Amino acid sequence: MTDYLAQNWFVILLTVVYILFCLGIGWHFKKKAASGVREYYIAKREVPGWVISLAFFSTSASTNTYIGQAGKAFQYGLSWAWVGLIWAFFCVIAWLVLGPRMRNQSAALKSFTVPDYFQLRYKSNLSKSIRILSAIAILFATMFYMVGIAKGCAHVLESVLQVPYAWGAFMIIFITCAYTIWGGMYSVLWTDAVQGIIMFGVAILMVSLPFIYVGGVDELMTKIATTDHITKTGQPIGNGLVSFGMLVSFMYILGIGLSIGMKQISDPKSLIRFYSIDNAKSMKFAMIWTPIFLGVSLVCVMGLGALVHGMATAEEAAYLIDHTDEVVGFMLQKMDNQVISGICVAGLFAAGMSSLASVILIVGTAFVKDIWDTWKPMPEDQIISKTKWAMFAYCVLVFVISLYPPAGIVELTAFAGAVFAASFFPAIFGGLYLKWGTDLGALSSMVVGMVCTVVWRFGFRLRVESLKDLHEIIPAFLISCVVYVVVSLMSQDRVPDEEHLGRLFKA
Amino acid sequence: MDFLTSLPYWGILVLVFINALLVMRMNVEIEEGEDE
Repeated sequence: MTDYLAQNWFVILLTVVYILFCLGIGWHFKKKAASGVREYYIAKREVPGWVISLAFFSTSASTNTYIGQAGKAFQYGLSWAWVGLIWAFFCVIAWLVLGPRMRNQSAALKSFTVPDYFQLRYKSNLSKSIRILSAIAILFATMFYMVGIAKGCAHVLESVLQVPYAWGAFMIIFITCAYTIWGGMYSVLWTDAVQGIIMFGVAILMVSLPFIYVGGVDELMTKIATTDHITKTGQPIGNGLVSFGMLVSFMYILGIGLSIGMKQISDPKSLIRFYSIDNAKSMKFAMIWTPIFLGVSLVCVMGLGALVHGMATAEEAAYLIDHTDEVVGFMLQKMDNQVISGICVAGLFAAGMSSLASVILIVGTAFVKDIWDTWKPMPEDQIISKTKWAMFAYCVLVFVISLYPPAGIVELTAFAGAVFAASFFPAIFGGLYLKWGTDLGALSSMVVGMVCTVVWRFGFRLRVESLKDLHEIIPAFLISCVVYVVVSLMSQDRVPDEEHLGRLFKA
Repeated sequence: MDFLTSLPYWGILVLVFINALLVMRMNVEIEEGEDE
């Protein structure tokens, strides 16, 4: 025990300080958040742009980025950064196309959640069903996402601090749950902002480690361009790490890139960020800086795994190629530096916690406000306390599933992203821009999007060899958009009244 | 590293730079707060 503490005291100290800081922020906002549903759910639309910007970045980039995506480059080479380019592109689209409109329309409708936006925007006897269906989709899709994040963080703790996997998963889930329950959206946004700063610094630190270890840029690039390591199927990698498309097909990159990138234009945990922004100056700041924070971090992180080949022996590489989620932990172990490990573990924790906190709040609001309160209305003071209990119960469920996770981090989160993009985007974009969009169009596109995602993945992609690289996001998204347009045009008698639309489209 | 492998790295930086220029020229309007 004494040896363990002597070896790891700095990492433990930094991790404990970081955790106490997050819990402190949650405790600080406890009273303010509890003063009303608007405060607890969307921080009263009074949060400055720099906080929202960093919060959007830290929510968008999670453990999935810093562990899963970084690790994938070990298998697929430097070409994997194409996923980052697609991701950054959709970050720009999210802020340019959706940000200002979503903020204005949600305020005009007094919307507090994404599912209630659907109900208030489409305003019909069917819109309540759309709200409940979208809330159920949130509960279903976020489960995979949260399990993926908990798994990633638990692996880092296991590699760096030798914390057993189950204890690591328990810590990350319930510490995040605690400060989210206390401070609601206030603590989610402010801890996310701090975590965003840490993550930005850690991304730059992480990418420099392989270069430092090997002894220079030229040395590392030469080493990985002529590696004697082998691929997953046992073939020599050769110069595959630095050659486009040699280790992975572009179709696969496109599918994963779209499913992760498009989450920013359809995932409630990202969209809800637009609700809380306070004014036009803040909006402009966030529109400029969020893609910069995310883009620079992705440049640093997306090819990291390929660089780690320069740090690994042939035997180590043969193991890591089958366990890419462990590549970042391996890199930190190789560096064997307390200070670096401490900072990186705090950064990886930040990446995981920032995304988890946002999702936990979304799950609580979806279950209580969008399903329970819609089905059986309750007084406002009960909504907050029931939201807290719902968040805690969901975290217990996620913890149990994370003990037996069904697949790798990247695939898990990409699948969740595909469900959101295919089922939510047409209804959101149509709601914001298309006056002729109808409730029936929204509901149909949502159902078709979900069904196509699941059917394509389990019925075709995992069964037919020639279709394995065609991610479910591509067919499901296209079909869902077509269904929204066709069904809306066929049901024009269901378009909301002019007064309602006039108020929204002025906003 | 070949051209297509390096493209996403500098492509991201070009993308965020162009976005910043576009937003600086845009007129963004936000209605502050909401009706009680």
